[in-house]
Amino acid sequence: MSLNDLKRTDIASMLAKRVKAVASSSGEVKDLYSYYPNKLAAELHPAYQELVVEEIKEHSPDMKSYVLAPNKKRGAKKLAWFSAGQYLSIRLSINGAKLCRPYSIASSPADTLKNRYMITVKRVWGGIASEYILDNWTVGTSVTSSAPLGEFTYEPLRDAATVIGIAGGSGITPFRSLAYAIAEGDEDCELILLYGSRTLSDAVFSDEIAEIAKTCPRVKLVNVLSDEKKKGCENGFITAKLIKKYAPKEGDYSVFLCGPQAMYRFVDKEIETLGIRRKFVRHELFGEYFDPAKNEDYPKRVKKSCKVTVRINGEEQTITCPSDTSLLRAMEAAGIKAPSDCRSGRCGWCRSQLVSGKVYVPAEVDGRRLADKDFGYIHPCCSFPLTDVVIDVPKAK
Amino acid sequence: MNDALKKYDVIVVGAGNGGLASAALCAKAGLKTLLLEKHNLPGGCATSFVRGRFEFEAALHELCHSSTSENADSVTKIFERLGADMDLHSEDTLFRVINRGEDPYDLTLHAGVDNFLNDMEAAVPGCRESVKELFDLMAVLDEAQEYMNGPSMNPSVLFNKYGDFMRVAAHSFDEVMDAVGVPEKAQRILETYWAYLGVPTDDMNALHYLSMVLSYIGAYPTMPGHRSHYLSLSLVKALQDHGGEVRFNTEVTRFLYDGDGAAIGVVANGDVIYSKKIISNIIPNNVINRSDPEKIPSHAKKLASARKLGMTFVSVYLGLDASMEELGIKDYSVFIMNGSDPREQFNTRKDGSIYVVNCLNKVLPESSPKGTCTLFFTIPVMPGDFPETVGARDYKKYKNAVAERYIKDYEKVLGVSVMPHIEEIVVATPVTFARYLATPAGAIYGYANEEWDNVVTRAMLEAVDYSIPNLHFCGGSYIRGDGYPSAYLTGAMAADKVISELKEEK
Repeated sequence: MSLNDLKRTDIASMLAKRVKAVASSSGEVKDLYSYYPNKLAAELHPAYQELVVEEIKEHSPDMKSYVLAPNKKRGAKKLAWFSAGQYLSIRLSINGAKLCRPYSIASSPADTLKNRYMITVKRVWGGIASEYILDNWTVGTSVTSSAPLGEFTYEPLRDAATVIGIAGGSGITPFRSLAYAIAEGDEDCELILLYGSRTLSDAVFSDEIAEIAKTCPRVKLVNVLSDEKKKGCENGFITAKLIKKYAPKEGDYSVFLCGPQAMYRFVDKEIETLGIRRKFVRHELFGEYFDPAKNEDYPKRVKKSCKVTVRINGEEQTITCPSDTSLLRAMEAAGIKAPSDCRSGRCGWCRSQLVSGKVYVPAEVDGRRLADKDFGYIHPCCSFPLTDVVIDVPKAK
Repeated sequence: MNDALKKYDVIVVGAGNGGLASAALCAKAGLKTLLLEKHNLPGGCATSFVRGRFEFEAALHELCHSSTSENADSVTKIFERLGADMDLHSEDTLFRVINRGEDPYDLTLHAGVDNFLNDMEAAVPGCRESVKELFDLMAVLDEAQEYMNGPSMNPSVLFNKYGDFMRVAAHSFDEVMDAVGVPEKAQRILETYWAYLGVPTDDMNALHYLSMVLSYIGAYPTMPGHRSHYLSLSLVKALQDHGGEVRFNTEVTRFLYDGDGAAIGVVANGDVIYSKKIISNIIPNNVINRSDPEKIPSHAKKLASARKLGMTFVSVYLGLDASMEELGIKDYSVFIMNGSDPREQFNTRKDGSIYVVNCLNKVLPESSPKGTCTLFFTIPVMPGDFPETVGARDYKKYKNAVAERYIKDYEKVLGVSVMPHIEEIVVATPVTFARYLATPAGAIYGYANEEWDNVVTRAMLEAVDYSIPNLHFCGGSYIRGDGYPSAYLTGAMAADKVISELKEEK
């Protein structure tokens, strides 16, 4: 046999087949969301969620939990599913400033099916978002949020079978969700929760998690009180010694940390002495970065305030940005609606083009892609101006 | 419509590889160009993502048609035309293929035609002549294909002047290999790449397949130093350097036409934007669904509904806390299969009968931090394979179950230990691709290049299939099928059409 045995005229029958197939087709072009993967993707990752405050639980005047339900008035019917540890980015408009803040979902993933999310807001003195929410949200307030986001989740192929959860203050919320997820079968791990508070009465959700632990032996709660001695609680700070005391005596364990930056700085040093492999230590988002000038690699003689020209779809606006303030915060304060979600340099949603000028990006929160650095793209949430700059920002959705 | 209202010469919808190339080339030609992208990043599949201390390549396995040789098809030439840097690094092994089915084999094939022929001869003694004959065909085919994709293509000239071309073009790769007398085992080895085009070789157009395989073998596969995101940003830079505009987070929800059915603009983020020409990098199904049905020719609707969607994937991305040397991983690309027959692999794909694993550190040792490496599993699936029984609540468990099965299989086949070293893991499924690409069923390869809907019939009927005035198409769903080169090249074709049409209209 040789190539010449193949008929070149066969192309004609191939074309005829095509003509016939096209002619006999219905001409119906299916809607995109009639395909199951598209439908599920839309369910898991809506562009935004219209919610309404359904219930408020006051833990103290400075800390409240908000139960959020789909906002039927705005046509919302369902909430997106999430993994314990994920957050919602809540969009706010405060005195002309457009901003958003990430809040961990404190409720059980299974509560999503009952159309309930819960977030817990603690007052940060001088923090405009938390103050605004605590002082303004009432039952019936309409709230817009992102889809559930974030990577502070238990991953069974990556993490150890036992998680030592280290929580400080409102950092308890993702662990509350994880405890429920374990009890309800959505996650498969052991959780030993070391929960640091000043006094037991400050330990929000402590009773509730203890209640879960009563019926679910895979969840264990240890209150660690810095300012109070109490029976059944540990006294002091969360140290390497304390972790060791509660960690499994044999085999690997993962450490998950969620709390204020000061807690990360303290506990990270303690964890270092334990010799745990890097893969077994997970942090929730670092949070807003302040005071870049404290870093050794921060340049000398930076002017106090820089001019920032912001371009969105070709339209320009010039604002000022103090050099110790992130470009994102400066845009928000000026009422510019810029995209953002995690505010910690990781998610990349605020990614913008640095058209001219120089910025400082602290290495510890520089979550950019290599090529983004090559071609001059920045994450404004973690970029501080060193000179006057021009940035091109995508329109927020 | 009055041209004065048309603010742009051309609007390009979608910043995938095709859209990026076409927009940059239009801008370079001096056209007022606007590129619109629904996501906040360019590239479509050509992107990367960061998890912890790793930056993962999202899609590219190896770039073919990228040599700096005189190959008329060269992707490099498009980038050169634009002054866009690629930062490519080449790999000298093509792939390792492990068939653990009947008549098992475990072979490593090297790039370079002579090296490859030597490897083939060693694996299947006596096959060299026939494989070489197959490869030699390509020189004739290249010339013919250039003619076929050219502006003055005439089917009767094609038929009479390029006889061998028509023979190859009208048959499957398996038929052509049979005709040339390639021994069966050698055929199976040559078929290894089939999943990269998404259709088993008994139904895969020989011209299409041969052209891809030879571009890998002849020109060496390459990878960009800083992931495909670098290629995408390099094209964005070229676009901007030539005065073009790009808008991210800007989804086109409507295509607009005049009374004669000619495309005149789009609605994007609620804004109406008019232009003289439109290039769609998005699949015709989505264009049809975002258009007034009366403006779409019935042939276009019938064609879209007659076509089968192309392949998609489950991808598992692993960041490992040990180096490839420490783990004993030696290869860049490993194809693992249960049996050597592509049709059988395709039919039993849900049983795990075919997947590919890449370790980028082999090509780019510094692509992850010292003492670490990454693995990228590619598991071919068809649209419709994703089980509808998996709801939002079970999705995470489903993803992990699939990943675990393939990772464990890989460990067994290669005799390496991976599971204890997973520092980062991301599992993408057709749902992920549906989310980011917004293609029907998360299809990545556009329409299946099956029997009657292959590169040859598509090229011959291009004018009939795409007849809406002022609306051109490019990308993976267009006439050349899937893959980075096809997308870049059809992007260039669309740009050239727009440039010459606007010149004529002047």
